[in-house]
Amino acid sequence: MRPSPTVVADELDARLTAVAERLPGCTVGVSVYDYLSGCEWNFNGDRWFHAASVIKVPVMVALFEAIDQGSYALNSRLAVRNRFLSAADGEPFRVDPARDADGQVHAATGRTMRLRELAERMIVRSSNLATNLLIGLLGVDAIRGALNRLAVNGVELARGVEDDRAFEQGVINRMTPNGAVALLRAIVGAESISPESSTRMLNILFNQQFSGTIAPGLPDKVRQAARVAHKTGDISTASHDAGVVFLPGRPPYLVAIFVENGGESRVRAEAGAAASAAVYECVAAAGESVLR
Amino acid sequence: MTIDTAALPVVDAMDLTPQHRALLRPGELMASRSGECHRLPRFFYVVESSAVAAETQLTPHFSLWEFLEVDLYEPALLRAYPRYIPCAISVLANALESLRAALPGPVKIAANGGYRSPSHIGSRSGSPHSWASAANIFRVGSEYLDTEERIVKYGEIARRTLADCWTRPYGHGLGQADDHLHLDLGYVTVVPRQYSEAGR
Repeated sequence: MRPSPTVVADELDARLTAVAERLPGCTVGVSVYDYLSGCEWNFNGDRWFHAASVIKVPVMVALFEAIDQGSYALNSRLAVRNRFLSAADGEPFRVDPARDADGQVHAATGRTMRLRELAERMIVRSSNLATNLLIGLLGVDAIRGALNRLAVNGVELARGVEDDRAFEQGVINRMTPNGAVALLRAIVGAESISPESSTRMLNILFNQQFSGTIAPGLPDKVRQAARVAHKTGDISTASHDAGVVFLPGRPPYLVAIFVENGGESRVRAEAGAAASAAVYECVAAAGESVLR
Repeated sequence: MTIDTAALPVVDAMDLTPQHRALLRPGELMASRSGECHRLPRFFYVVESSAVAAETQLTPHFSLWEFLEVDLYEPALLRAYPRYIPCAISVLANALESLRAALPGPVKIAANGGYRSPSHIGSRSGSPHSWASAANIFRVGSEYLDTEERIVKYGEIARRTLADCWTRPYGHGLGQADDHLHLDLGYVTVVPRQYSEAGR
């Protein structure tokens, strides 16, 4: 019997409810879009989460849109300076190197780096310094404008990262799982993004150095054949992963898995991987119904 | 190979293309933040390539390139070779060489912290950086100048060592610095021998 999209949605809902119930205190949000079946599903898809480092994806998208528009070149150089103004009070703050997963950009303080290098470090090593430099270059309002032009809803960029005073005042970068998938759809195929920029962004996402939860949740044999272009986001209360999953012999599917709790990151990682497993099975089932 | 500044060609910027003149504004009066007016430099060294910039030693410890590193906030035309830098750069480099002798380690100038044209987006009106008579030092030896203690300490040494040197006070506001030591020698202009300042 071929599963209908509705049956798949019900199955996914049941599986993700079970994941959430098994891990008390966890809130799970998932959004999926499958290019093979054309189906989209979500679980808490419109719930707002602290975006953590997934917020770096819209910064990359806005950068490449600006490059496509001729505002900058990928090889343009930007001065590396660790000094930013807080969205809370306009006073300066710095990105603490000890809290930044990437040391390479800090090591370039006082010199310049190319925009393509900063974009790569921002995604691949989740460099907070590179992120704030690029936000400073593009501007928060311009990034929001790019998201509006791309019709991406569910993403709210309010400030740079590591802006503790703004955080304390409740100014946070937020995202919904559906917003994350809308971003990924823009990367893969938005009309206003050139094919070259789309390919470059996917290649950066492919080079991700943090494992996240999407790939670990795939069955072993599938994981060995899969290529996942993704961005993780980890803070003390959230573990997210959003990416494009390429499997042999079929078009890709997009998935965003957001997990929040007040506890251990290990628990969130388990929940995220379980959600990824459930998503894969449902996507595979829906795909079978198309291919038969 | 080391190139001496004496080997660098000099140009009267009044002879450059209209596009270059519009960005460099040679000889124009420019008001500083406090209202005084100063005439922008007119005579520039011509730097034909990045190799020339890297190989030209202004002093034993300062190459020309260190004063030329700017980012995309400098107009693209002025980032393309040949590039132009006011002849006063030699005066600044010699001052920094003297300062270096009084310091415990190499002096590092920040990107955008050497010469910036008056069209650089990060240049405020009347900044001595547009005269090539100012430097932003972000590191001395292994010490980053990003604390009040270090900025005050090295600022005092600079003022003691260099005549007519001004340093920006530590602070977060306008006219202050908190992540580098800004020093300048005022509005220095250099007119090489055999060049006339007569109007065009």
